[in-house]
Amino acid sequence: MTWEIAKQAIDYVLNNEQEFREESVTWDFIGGEPFLEIDLIDKICDYIKTEMYRRNHHWFNSYRFSFSTNGINYHTEKVQNFIKKNQEHLSIGITIDGTKKKHDLNRIYKGKDGKGSYDDVVKNIPLYLKQFKNAGTKVTISSPDIPYIIESVLHLYKLGIKDIHINCVFEDVWKDGDDILFEEQLLSLADVIICKGYYKNHNCSFFLETIGKPLNPKTQNTTWCGAGQMLAIDATGNFYPCMRFAGYSLRSKKPIIIGNIYDGIDKNKLRPFLTLDRITQSPKECIDCEVASGCAWCQGENYDAAETNTIYQRATAICKMHKARVRANNYYWNKLYRKLELEGEREEFEKNKCEVKPEIC
Amino acid sequence: MLQYLIILLDKESVSFCSTPPKGERGGGLMPLETLRQGIRFGMMENLMIQYVYPDKELSKEYAEVIESIDHSKIKSLPQSLLKEGRMDADVWVTESIKDIKAEVPVVWRTDKQNLFNSEADIVCALENVPRLNVVLTDVETFTDEDFEKYKQLLSALAKHIEKLYVEGKAPQLNLLTDRMMLQKMNNCGAGDTTITLAPNGKFYVCPAFFYEDESDSIGDLENGLDIKNKQLYKLEYAPICRHCDAYQCKRCIWLNRKTTLEVNTPSHEQCVLAHLERNASRELLNNIRKHGTFLPEQEDIKEIDYLDPFDKRDTWQ
Repeated sequence: MTWEIAKQAIDYVLNNEQEFREESVTWDFIGGEPFLEIDLIDKICDYIKTEMYRRNHHWFNSYRFSFSTNGINYHTEKVQNFIKKNQEHLSIGITIDGTKKKHDLNRIYKGKDGKGSYDDVVKNIPLYLKQFKNAGTKVTISSPDIPYIIESVLHLYKLGIKDIHINCVFEDVWKDGDDILFEEQLLSLADVIICKGYYKNHNCSFFLETIGKPLNPKTQNTTWCGAGQMLAIDATGNFYPCMRFAGYSLRSKKPIIIGNIYDGIDKNKLRPFLTLDRITQSPKECIDCEVASGCAWCQGENYDAAETNTIYQRATAICKMHKARVRANNYYWNKLYRKLELEGEREEFEKNKCEVKPEIC
Repeated sequence: MLQYLIILLDKESVSFCSTPPKGERGGGLMPLETLRQGIRFGMMENLMIQYVYPDKELSKEYAEVIESIDHSKIKSLPQSLLKEGRMDADVWVTESIKDIKAEVPVVWRTDKQNLFNSEADIVCALENVPRLNVVLTDVETFTDEDFEKYKQLLSALAKHIEKLYVEGKAPQLNLLTDRMMLQKMNNCGAGDTTITLAPNGKFYVCPAFFYEDESDSIGDLENGLDIKNKQLYKLEYAPICRHCDAYQCKRCIWLNRKTTLEVNTPSHEQCVLAHLERNASRELLNNIRKHGTFLPEQEDIKEIDYLDPFDKRDTWQ
């Protein structure tokens, strides 16, 4: 993205304050790798702050800059200066997938003979945790990753990361038997978390009390995904309901462009996103599902996998993985609560337990 | 449930809805054998057939095949017949209603500018045709200023219609009288109650889908229908429309897809136009009732404070 495009995008958003009435804003920088462009990002953030102040915009002092980074450049002087300058308004997530083996399965340098990035990321974790004490990480599980789930989660705990947001990919990548392997991994992970007491001050989003229940078709009819409630802008200035609808994110469908920095948002193209509900896009098996709660979807993947050019056909590739997760999750809570009851600690646990929000995207 | 099969007899068949005008489609009569197979399909599926004619004369052979099944004919109304009222169709389609006279329903395709300037012609037509269906060809271009003009036109037309009703006449203008009579949605139906057979032997959601992209078919005569995501053409799967009571709305499936990229989601413009019609119909119904009992079995049309149900989505989401 050029500075000119970035500036025009910011001007569009700030010029149209009446269209963006939310109390606060997150300016989210995702890549590629955002810290490769730290000079540009620094300039962008300075401009945003200056303009919000100059315009007396209602977001002034109610904003965050958010980054999803691979962490490789985290220690560099420029990135560190940026962090110091914006610390109070920063959210940074370093993506580290677990053990070296697991991480280097997917995160490989271009043109370095398949060298993984684990070593370069992990050295920055202590600094990261020093600067962001409650920092978490996001882990994504695909079929080849399943055997490494336990060791990866425990490895991240060992590195000092206490909050792990972990989810299966929504794409149809699952092989026969993956759900069984997945369930076995989660059951063993449940045993370790409970036996070693990690449940007291660590989180792993696989285990949530709220998942695995039926959903009322009338009162629990909201859609899962936030596509359309955010504005995503690509390097050329096109607008999308989420970056998953950009051409480079899609396998077979045309991008869904909802406007651009020159002409603004085509609100008609946003209407389907803002009126989506769970029932209208779900097949009967999902509507009737006894363990529906917590079963997530990605609107972009729904669109990409749909038989027609629609966002109204829910992809169900994740179904068997969700059901496996629910079985392991039930096991986890039954085991944990029995232990706490036997030890007379349940009341104390209930009082202190922190809320873990389900992973959305 | 499917009820109607539209058969486009030619690539240059008349546009009778929001379908783009013929332009440079190029001719292409449906082969006789395709027509026979289409009729057979319609009979086997128990569908009411609607033939859409090109301007050109069809041969006797075609006429014989066409007459082999109960049907209705949709034709364009040549200028020469405007005043004569000679009938050989069940629905006439025209681009001009000046001095029109007909004994069958007339579809008038018009752009907004022409519509805004045609109050007198519409009033005249209402006395000379049993039913006038106005089809706007540029819905997606309406601005707030156009909406205001549309509102004023509907209000003026409603006064004329009220007068005609008081005189004991029963003119029908889709924009104003349909909503008074309806108790539930009565919309386009493309992909749900109606499908289209094109001259190439393939099925389409509606003629516009064929004219826009011939590869966008939903089956063919050889292999039958294959409507993917069929449920999305139904009202229950349209989040905005299923909460709406602008029952007369065209709810054009093709325009939905063109403007919002989804067949089940109408544009802001389509919703506002339909609600201006709905509100004007409400006024008309209330005013006619001041003269005496009128449609006693019909419920009042409620007063509402919005023109686009999308703006009220918080109340039903």
